Amino acid sequence: MNAVDGSDHYTKTSDEPPPSLLTIILDTNPHAWALLSPTLPLSAAIANLLVFVNAHLAFNNANRVAIIASHTQRAEFLYPLPAQETSSHTNGSAPQNGFDNDVEMADDGEPTVPPLSDDANHYRPFRLIQTTLLTALTTLLKTTPPSSLTPTTSIAGALTLALTYINKTTLSLSTTTSSTAPNADTTLAAETAPPALNPRILILSVSGDLAHQYIPIMNTIFACQRLSIPIDIAKIAGDTVFLQQASDATRGTYIKLDHPRGLLQYLMMGFLPDQTNRKYLVPPTAVGVDFRAACFCHRKVVDVGFVCSICLSIFCSPPEGAICLTCGTHLQLGEYGGKPVVVARKKKKRKNVEDGKGKDAT
Amino acid sequence: MSTSSLRSFEYLEGLPGTTFNRLYKQPSTALAIFRRMLPHLAKSFVMALLYISRPMPVTDLEAWVRPDGRLERDNAIDLLERLHILTATTKPGKPRAYTLTNPFAASLRLALTGGGTHKSFGVPSNISDDDHITIPELDEFARRQWEGVLGYMVGSTGIDLANNGVELSPGVQHLLKQGGLVETRGRRVEITQDGFAFILQEVNAQVWTMLILYLQNAEALNMDEVDVLSFLFTLGSLELGLPYSKANLTPTQSQMLLDLGDFGIIHQTTPTSSHFHPTRLATTLTSDSNGLRSSSLASSSDTTKGGFIVIETNYRIYAYTSSTLQIAILQLFTRLITRYPNMVAGKITRESIRRAVSMGITSDQIISYLTTHAHPQMLKKQPILPATVVDQIRLWQLEGDRMKATPGYLFKDFNTQGDFEGLCRYAEEIGVLVWKSEGQRKFFVTRHEQVAAYLRNQARRG
Repeated sequence: MNAVDGSDHYTKTSDEPPPSLLTIILDTNPHAWALLSPTLPLSAAIANLLVFVNAHLAFNNANRVAIIASHTQRAEFLYPLPAQETSSHTNGSAPQNGFDNDVEMADDGEPTVPPLSDDANHYRPFRLIQTTLLTALTTLLKTTPPSSLTPTTSIAGALTLALTYINKTTLSLSTTTSSTAPNADTTLAAETAPPALNPRILILSVSGDLAHQYIPIMNTIFACQRLSIPIDIAKIAGDTVFLQQASDATRGTYIKLDHPRGLLQYLMMGFLPDQTNRKYLVPPTAVGVDFRAACFCHRKVVDVGFVCSICLSIFCSPPEGAICLTCGTHLQLGEYGGKPVVVARKKKKRKNVEDGKGKDAT
Repeated sequence: MSTSSLRSFEYLEGLPGTTFNRLYKQPSTALAIFRRMLPHLAKSFVMALLYISRPMPVTDLEAWVRPDGRLERDNAIDLLERLHILTATTKPGKPRAYTLTNPFAASLRLALTGGGTHKSFGVPSNISDDDHITIPELDEFARRQWEGVLGYMVGSTGIDLANNGVELSPGVQHLLKQGGLVETRGRRVEITQDGFAFILQEVNAQVWTMLILYLQNAEALNMDEVDVLSFLFTLGSLELGLPYSKANLTPTQSQMLLDLGDFGIIHQTTPTSSHFHPTRLATTLTSDSNGLRSSSLASSSDTTKGGFIVIETNYRIYAYTSSTLQIAILQLFTRLITRYPNMVAGKITRESIRRAVSMGITSDQIISYLTTHAHPQMLKKQPILPATVVDQIRLWQLEGDRMKATPGYLFKDFNTQGDFEGLCRYAEEIGVLVWKSEGQRKFFVTRHEQVAAYLRNQARRG
C-alpha cells in the first residue's frame, strides 16, 4: 500500500525453483524380482519407472535423471552410460573384480548413445532414456553369471555411485552458471548462493538383509545428511532396517508399498514432488522408524549391544580379550561376565555406568 | 513460474474452451503447457491425478497440502481451472472431486509413454552431410536475425548502430507496428513504451511476446490459431541441431516456417528445401529462463555466457560485452564513460534515469533488465542487485510520476459489514487486494475469478 515513498526494498530474487537431479537406485536382484513376479514383474516395474522418469523430466527442461542398478554383487550405471574409454575402469571399482571382463565385453559393442529410430510420436529425450535404460538393463542381466546370484544387493555401492554423480553434476553446473573455481568448497558456495541443483536419491528396494553392509550404508547416509540430499525409499518387498533410518536421517520419504501393483501411483504422488514442492505438501512418510543397528563383528541386527567407549563401534557380544576390533583399544569390561546369568540386565547396566571406563550397554 | 511470459498466459487464458479442447489433442502441446505455463505446485497436482482412475475428493487434495501452503494451493488450482486442465465435478451422493479434463490427460499420458500416431514431436529428416548445419552456425543465424529485429527498434532512438546486414522483411515491420511496439511518425520509425518494455525483457520472453503478436495477427491472415499454436509447441519439443522434415506440415504451418525464418526461430537453406532446422530460440521455447541463462543467446558475444553486467553500490556499472546492440540498450539508461575492447564502463546517474523515464521506460523495467543480465558473480549475492542502487533508481523515477494505474475490478454495494470484511480478508490472503475502504464498503482487486468463486461458495453454503 505504501509503495509510493519507495521505502520497501525491492528484493528481486530468482523465484523459479532450481532444477532437480533425481538419482534412482534400482534394486535389480533377480532373486527378489522372481519372487515378486506374480504381483509386479520387473518389466512392469520398469515401464512404471520410465513413466515416472519422464514425468520428472517434464517438470522442468533442466531437470536431470540418473539411474543406477544395485545388482547382486556390483552397482552399475544404467543411465547415463559412462563414457566409452572410462567404462571398464569405473566398473572396476565394483566389489567383485572378477567381473571386469564381462562388463568390458558388454560395453564394447554398445555405442554410448544408441541409435534412435525416427519416431515422431515420442518426445526425443524420453525416447533416449528408454532406449538406453532398456539396453543397459538387458546387458546387465545377460552378463550375470548364475554363480553370483545371492539374495543380497549392493546398495552401499550404488549409494556411493549416486553420491559421486551428484557431486560431479553439482560441480559442473556451478562452474557453468557461476564461475566458481572447481576446487571451491561446495558447502560454502551453497550457503551464499541459491542452490543450482536440487539433488535427491530414490531407492526402489526389493531385497532385504543388508546387515553385512551396515557400515558403508551408514557412512553414505551421513554423507547425504551433510550435503542435505534426501533419500527416498520405495519399499516394494523385503524388510530392511537401515533404509528406514536413511530416509529418516536425511528427511526423505519412506513408503512401504502395500499394493506393489500400484507402483506408478505411489511414485507419482509420493516421490515426484521435489524439495521445492515438499515444503507445501504433507509427506506420506510412516511414523515409526526402526533405529536398530548392526554389530560390527557378526553383522547381526541388535536391539541392545556393546559400544566401544573410544570409537563407538557396536558389538553383539564383548570382543575377544576385551580388545575393540575397530580401534584396538583395550577395554575394561568391569565385572561383566563374572556374574552368573541370573543377574538382571538392569543391574548390569548400572554397574557399567558406575564403572565409567567400561562398556556401556545401549 | 516466470513472469516473463505473462502476456502469453493472459492470451491463452482468454481462449474459449473449445479451442483448448482442440489444442490439447496434441501430446506435444499438452506437454509444453504443462512444462511452461503451470506453477510448480500445480505440476505436482496434475501428476498425482494423472494416473488415478477415480476423481480425487476436494478434501483429500486439501489434506495433502500443508496449512501454510494454502495460498499456493489456491493459486495452482485456480490457474489449472482457468486453463481448462482441472475440473471439479459434483455427483449426487458423492463429495466434490477433482478430475483432469480428458483431452489433456490423455495427451499428457501419451506424451509420457510415447506411442500413437499424432506425429506431434516433429519428423526428423535424413539428409546428406553437406546439407548439415552445425549448432554454432544455427546460433549465429538466430542471433543475427533476432538482433536485427531489436536493432531496428533501438536504432530508431537515434543511437547509431553498426549495420549488421540484416534487412527486416516487410512482414516483420508490419507486425511490430501492429503490436504497438513501434509507430511511424512521418517517415521515421519511433519506438513506443511497449517497445522499450519489450527490449528490456529476456530473450525467451521477447520471443513469446513476438509469437503471441504473430498469433493475434494470424487470424487476420486466415490462419487457424490452433494450428499455429500447436506448431509453436511442437517447435519447443524439437532437438537443436537436427534437421526435420516438412512433409507432415499443414499449409498453414508451411507458411509459418517462412515467417519464423525472418525472426531466426527456424532456419532453412532455401524456402523450397524439404527440411528445416530449429534454432536455439525455438528449442528453448518451452524451457524456463534457467535453461536459457547458460545458452549463448542470452548475451550476444560468443565468449561470455549468460549475464555480463556488474553494478557496484557506488552506481558504477561494468558490462562485459562488445555487442553494439547491448551497448545501445545500456545507453538508454546509463551514462557510458569508457569503452574497452570487451567491456564498457559507465555510471547510473539521476540524469540518465530521468532521460530513460521520459522516454517511457519504467524503473521496474530497468531493474528487471539488470537482474536478468547480471553477471554470474552478481548472481551469487542475495539480493542480486545492490539495494541502494535499486531503491535510488525507483526514487528517481518517483520524482516524476506520482500515480500508478493498476487494471482490476471494484467490488462494492455489500449488504453487511460482515460480508465485506470476510470477502476483503479473503482477497488480501490470496494477494489480489490493491485498495480497500472500510467506510464505503468498497475494495479493489487485480483478479476477480477466485474472489467470485469464493463468493459463490459462500452463497451456496449460506
